[in-house]
Amino acid sequence: MIWASWRMHRTIYLVSIAIAAVLAIWLYISGTLEASAWTSFTSHNCSPSYPGSSEACMAGLTGTGSFSTVNVWLCGSLPAILGLVLGVPLVAGEIEQRTNRLAWTQSITKNRWLFSKIGVGATIVVGIVGAMAPMIWWWTDAARRSTHIQPSNFDISGFVIVAYALFAFMLGVALGALIRRTGWAFAACIPVFVLVRFVVRLYVRPTLISPTTRSTSVNAPISSVNWQLHSGFVPIGHSAPTASETWSSNSQVIQNCQGLNSNTGKPALSTAYCEKLHHLHYVLQYHPPSHFWSLQLAESAIFLGAALFLLGITVLAVRRWRT
Amino acid sequence: MNPTVPALETVNLGKSYGRKWGLQDCSLRLPAGRIAALVGPNGAGKSTLLRMAAGITRPSAGKVEVFGHSPQQQTVEALRRIGYLDQERPLYRSFRVEEMLRFGRQLNPRWDDVIAHNYLRQLGIPTDAVVGRLSGGQQAQVALTMCLAKRPALLLLDEPVAALDPIAREGLMQILLQSVADSNTTVLLSSHALSDLASVCDYVIILSASRVHLADDLDYVLASHRLLVASGVHHSAETPAGVVVISARHSERQTDLLVRVEQPVNDPEWRVIEPTLEEIVLAYLREQQLPDAVNSNMVSRWSLRGEQ
Repeated sequence: MIWASWRMHRTIYLVSIAIAAVLAIWLYISGTLEASAWTSFTSHNCSPSYPGSSEACMAGLTGTGSFSTVNVWLCGSLPAILGLVLGVPLVAGEIEQRTNRLAWTQSITKNRWLFSKIGVGATIVVGIVGAMAPMIWWWTDAARRSTHIQPSNFDISGFVIVAYALFAFMLGVALGALIRRTGWAFAACIPVFVLVRFVVRLYVRPTLISPTTRSTSVNAPISSVNWQLHSGFVPIGHSAPTASETWSSNSQVIQNCQGLNSNTGKPALSTAYCEKLHHLHYVLQYHPPSHFWSLQLAESAIFLGAALFLLGITVLAVRRWRT
Repeated sequence: MNPTVPALETVNLGKSYGRKWGLQDCSLRLPAGRIAALVGPNGAGKSTLLRMAAGITRPSAGKVEVFGHSPQQQTVEALRRIGYLDQERPLYRSFRVEEMLRFGRQLNPRWDDVIAHNYLRQLGIPTDAVVGRLSGGQQAQVALTMCLAKRPALLLLDEPVAALDPIAREGLMQILLQSVADSNTTVLLSSHALSDLASVCDYVIILSASRVHLADDLDYVLASHRLLVASGVHHSAETPAGVVVISARHSERQTDLLVRVEQPVNDPEWRVIEPTLEEIVLAYLREQQLPDAVNSNMVSRWSLRGEQ
């Protein structure tokens, strides 16, 4: 059945592998160009923050700058598109072609048919995305994108992309088994996948492990290596707003306290003085780069768990299937 | 194999699609070793019955068993006994014929590759051809070869000759008969080609309007039905005693009755003719328009037989 599972979807598997190979080559080319642009930028002691920088030394960076946007989109959509393209036709395609009637009347159970097809498909999904992961990682470093903890990098880094791909694959298989039409299943999968990814990224990921908090001066520069979550004035003794407050609720208190000097137009009192007066301190909440692997592990667990749940749905949908 | 276990047994089997019944109250026993014809008009429930017997459609009511195993359980034990040819003859169109055979070999423990290659050679189908590029008739032949090489105990064939020209039809029937004679396979095949069936089958099941109207040995069916012809107009009250009228056709000059008889008809008013299978089947298919009394009569008779 392993040979049969491969043979049934051979074309789409081979095309996926070819497209992934092309993407890998493109990442290598664009990464090399971006790296050399950065090299020439630093060797000429250019800096975007100094107005004296010559046009010439900025030219290389602006030329390769658009690669970054494109590549983030390509790498970000790879797990989703690959998973859905391989997942949706796995059951729905056979039902559409009626070949399930052939497969289900051979001397093997529906479950064996289903598991070997899912096994082969999932192996190919994991193989392709797993092989792309180090390539994408190399590219994000070559293009000097900031730390991997930053969401735009986190989404395409490490092994979480393999979990995204498996989730997309099982979502495609499950909705395909429920809807039984590849076109409609595809249409249903895309919003579900996007919604789940965004909800996890915006609301779940920050809380997966407890973030680091640091009390600091309001004027201290924020480090760009950390994934900044929140900042604000909170009561001394607390590292986060109390139950009745939000992160921004005390900034008005500080502002009112400081008042305005009518001559200069600047605050009359210092922030430090007002903080002391109102028993507040300024707190930063963030995930430092050291949280990267723990967050990857936790988020991967969520998507793999969802994939397992969808596997269960698929088994039930195929078992309950009526023609 | 225990010969007393029927190849196929259904008890009050039914399948509803929404409010409409595709098959209703279907009770029949197909003894092992028969070649049974399943006949009925379009939409009578033939395909539904075959799909439920093959285990790919779930019954809404009643039960179905193949050699004592429920095909619905999808156990290997039940599946390996069944060879099913779907009406649409699904095959993997991108496969080569030899890859279809490899598929069958890997998925079926009793698969016979020699049989498969022999049949394909007889039918003149090259094994390196891509399935999707074969003609409809050749695809049907590949699909049937897949069923036969599986060496099932019960072959369920949904319109096996529908897409074939008369010569291919004969060739296919020959291979079917050859295979069945070699292996003592039970066959249940649905078809519209009534004339073909009579030469092949030894058992008849008539389905009409989602119900079973007749299920019996061909010899018994032929022996127990008579065509009665009388000149002039006769009404059903005047029919000979001891017969059940299945279908009646009146014209100004004569009356034709197709009747079921328990004993020989000796009525000088009627000329008694032995009908062909085709005539009997057509009479039953017209039966929907007959009074309910005949209908219920039939049903009770067949449920009685089922309990024997």
